[in-house]
Amino acid sequence: MAADPILLPGDYLDPKVLPSHPSKALKLGPGLLHIPPNSIVSTVAGRLCTDNKKNAVWVEYNSGRYIPVVDDLVIATIHHSATDFYYASISDYSSNAILPNLSFEGASRKSRPQLAPGALVYARITLANKHMDLELECVSASTGKSDGLGPLTGGMVFSVSLAMARRLMLPKPGEQGQLVLLEELGAAGASFEIAVGRNGRVWVDSKSVKSTLAIGNMIQRTDQEGWMVEKQRIMAKRMAKEIS
Amino acid sequence: MPRELGPSLNERQFFLQALKEEVRIDSRGFGDFRAIQLDFGDEYGVSDVRIGKTRVLTNITAEVTTPFPDRPFDGPFTITTSLSAMASPSFSGPPSETEVLLARLLEKTLRRSGALDTESLCLIAGRAVFSIRADVHVLSHDGNLTDAACLGVVAALRHFRRGDSEVKGEDVKVFTMAEREGVALSLLHYPLCVTFSFYEGEVVLVDATLSEEQMREGSCTIGMNKHGEVCQIAKLGGAPVDAVILLSCSNLALRHVERMSKVMEERLLEDAKRRYKGGIKAEPSSENARVP
Amino acid sequence: MPLDTSSYSLALLRLDGRRWNELRRITAQISTMPSADGSSYLEMGNTKVLCTVTGPCEGGGTRDRDRADIRVELAIAGFSGVDRKRVGRGDKRVSEMVSTIQSTFASTLFTNLYPQSTIHISLHVLSQDGSLLAALLNASTLALIDAGIPMRDYITASTAGSTSSYSSNDESADPLLDLNTSEEQELPFLTVATLGGSDQVSVLVMETRVQAGRLEGMLAVGVDGCKQVREILDDVVREHGKEVLKSGRL
Repeated sequence: MAADPILLPGDYLDPKVLPSHPSKALKLGPGLLHIPPNSIVSTVAGRLCTDNKKNAVWVEYNSGRYIPVVDDLVIATIHHSATDFYYASISDYSSNAILPNLSFEGASRKSRPQLAPGALVYARITLANKHMDLELECVSASTGKSDGLGPLTGGMVFSVSLAMARRLMLPKPGEQGQLVLLEELGAAGASFEIAVGRNGRVWVDSKSVKSTLAIGNMIQRTDQEGWMVEKQRIMAKRMAKEIS
Repeated sequence: MPRELGPSLNERQFFLQALKEEVRIDSRGFGDFRAIQLDFGDEYGVSDVRIGKTRVLTNITAEVTTPFPDRPFDGPFTITTSLSAMASPSFSGPPSETEVLLARLLEKTLRRSGALDTESLCLIAGRAVFSIRADVHVLSHDGNLTDAACLGVVAALRHFRRGDSEVKGEDVKVFTMAEREGVALSLLHYPLCVTFSFYEGEVVLVDATLSEEQMREGSCTIGMNKHGEVCQIAKLGGAPVDAVILLSCSNLALRHVERMSKVMEERLLEDAKRRYKGGIKAEPSSENARVP
Repeated sequence: MPLDTSSYSLALLRLDGRRWNELRRITAQISTMPSADGSSYLEMGNTKVLCTVTGPCEGGGTRDRDRADIRVELAIAGFSGVDRKRVGRGDKRVSEMVSTIQSTFASTLFTNLYPQSTIHISLHVLSQDGSLLAALLNASTLALIDAGIPMRDYITASTAGSTSSYSSNDESADPLLDLNTSEEQELPFLTVATLGGSDQVSVLVMETRVQAGRLEGMLAVGVDGCKQVREILDDVVREHGKEVLKSGRL
């Protein structure tokens, strides 16, 4: 990880860092631009990441505003409802996304969740392009199961940076993202529910107001103060003791 | 449609539940301010106030003008506020209600209470006076703009030095800072604002953050000086609050005003020390100060 | 100087002959304008205010989709004051009063019954002689009652002052009720509005310097004044109600 080079906008990529795969074509991820014939230039400031198995290369960077991408999981706020849709908002100062009334687990014309304006839902983005309204769903279209999506009741929402949200969503946050906070909290005996939205919002619920706040604040501080693994361990243990 | 989301239902419920358990989201006490940081610029009359993530920059300027005909002895003192899109995207466009109320509150607290001795700004009656202008720029908005702005203006006014002046017959000469030491403004008292936010009819919070402000049912701003004189009260509608609670707020306000005055006093002193180069050394020299 | 404080301490009478806790004469009528949904005309001494209410009508809900918006318009006639002066809409004092009235009634009316609609309150000041904001609030309450918009209780307002100015630290200063223009110019005063004659203060505005110790007395007198005003307004509404019943319009 430490060896990953830092790129600034306009930096040309050294061909040596590119992954070399015998058969697959090279895939360029976010933040990189191919200038024919064979130079690759960074368009953002961030850390270069490579994946040899997939023969992919991209730049991991922290942007201010969330740009919706299909299949991202987000925490959306219901704005209002119409006959067939809920209009939900996923970030400040952006137009509303559409969430069909029936795209909840087990929802039918007769029974479907009633959501008041301001209610939170954990949803997946199904359509994101520049010409049409964003579309969301709270049920998997293929299996009909919610897979953990749906209305979020109780709890509290905390804002984090987009990079932090991505780190929290990594399959192995400890190895890939230097993030052991949640695992340590769980290991130390703190019980809580958490939902991470790619739009930089984290929903936390636990048995008491104090512990929810403590967990939320800890996630925010890890993000803002850049706590390293060791510090995360210490703070998680200390907090688990306090709230139990 | 530029629009702020505002707190969701879950956040509201959680916040109210937390208030019942006497906890605030940022784990402050109900009557506690966030950390106040006050800095001064290199020039005189520039103050930079930070209360948590709220940041307000104030700049004082003076110029010689002719006074208004109905007030020949008074130097005009104007306060302008600018809430630009920098502080929050919702502020773009025409002046919002927040901005008008902020300007009006500052005016009531500072101008109507006679904080600045405007008669001391007179050079020649009816002909020439110093006009003082305070420009308040909100750089970042995380609640409690009024208290931050008021502290900023008062601190900047106390820090400001206008050019020394000399009147010879009908002529007014204003010296630059290099020619003569500047003159501090004559302030009669130092009023500061404390804003209280009300929830559920009885919970009173001091120094609300932006999200706490969005969820409040009513608010009351009390302007006071450290001598216990109330300069201004503004509870402009909102949910009704018991009269007894409002009176207790005014007592609490005095405590905060005393504390803020102390912070201001200390910072002004530190700044004065920093600027004082020591008696004889302050004389202009031909040496370049930047070369050690 | 308009108020001779020395004469007050001798006879305990104010310049217009009132005692400290006396209101000026308040007369009011409701349903004065047939074209509006609700209207009122209120006099507090020489302060004269007209109010009309239109709505709730369609459109609005911009702040909150589940509630009615309240729009307030305030016009102060050029001839209403001592010197003829036009007060523009951009005037900060006017916009402060407008936003005060708006936010007071937003938390008093059951606006949640009228989602996505607007209630217009239009106020005209015909003559000013102190306690302007109080008169505006009282007139609005009457017009809103006339318009039949449900509210928690009456919002009634009055002003209270203190007999000596802030500079003299006079412990024997008496609080005064319901100030006129000359007293407002001379003395520290506050405007207070309460909900239904209770101790629940909905508006409290003070723009002058006063010793913190004197606040309690002033507030107590102001709140008491609101109770008296509430009785008077209640009588006005009841009187009007009787007439309506008599004429069989209901």
